[in-house]
Amino acid sequence: MSQMLQVSVPLFIVYLALTGNVEPSNLVIGALIAVGVSLLRPKMDLPLINPKRLPQFLWAGIRYIFIVAGDVIRGGISTARIVLDPKLPINPGIIAIPSGTRSELGTALSAHSISLSPGEMVVAIDDDGVMYTHCLNVDGSERMIANAQSLRKNLLSRMFE
Amino acid sequence: MEIILQLVAFLLLVLGTLLSIIGVIGFIRLPDVYTRLHATGKVSVFGLVFLLLAADILTPLATWKALLLIFFVLAASPAVSHAISSAAYRVGIPLVGKRDDLKGKMERGKEKE
Repeated sequence: MSQMLQVSVPLFIVYLALTGNVEPSNLVIGALIAVGVSLLRPKMDLPLINPKRLPQFLWAGIRYIFIVAGDVIRGGISTARIVLDPKLPINPGIIAIPSGTRSELGTALSAHSISLSPGEMVVAIDDDGVMYTHCLNVDGSERMIANAQSLRKNLLSRMFE
Repeated sequence: MEIILQLVAFLLLVLGTLLSIIGVIGFIRLPDVYTRLHATGKVSVFGLVFLLLAADILTPLATWKALLLIFFVLAASPAVSHAISSAAYRVGIPLVGKRDDLKGKMERGKEKE
């Protein structure tokens, strides 16, 4: 039940934000759609957030979003620079990076933000949470990712422990 | 105030278009599937975010829609490039470059030319 609420309430809010209409008929339609979609959802274990830790969760989440936003901007600019360079300075390859967390959600979120950051893209993840990452520049990326990953691991473990 | 907003929106439009063009140039210039995904999955998405921000300012109705769309694009684009690259590796499309830590760890089809 609480699992269903966890999915259908955000869906309902997103529906209202997208339609921008709070007439009763629209509210009813939105609620029906949200409940219907949450019934169609495959069974999976969403981590339940302990209400006592909610402020900490939100704070870590907001910091995480800002870090990811910075990564997106730097990623776009540096990849654009590489593409426009007449010499095309790339040294591509796949390197293994341990995510440092065993939780599936934590690994997935790490992989997500790595794929958004400059010149890196996760190709595969194995059962131990090792992320095989394709890099445009193998030499520079390895140390940079290790640093960024320890910061992320810190924040993510605060969100999902 | 109105004029400043219009100017900002114009700037965002130009930037977004430029980045989209750079994404396409990268798609043509880079050597293999994996590196090309860097160009389309990052530069073009970045351009799309700027275009959506411009739409956000220029059309009064789209405020929340544009912001939500930006969120969804940023949430979905890494998943898409991951899915494509993972599938490409599994099928056996060769990659440019010497280092490959994933070699032998994943079932892989015969290398294609």
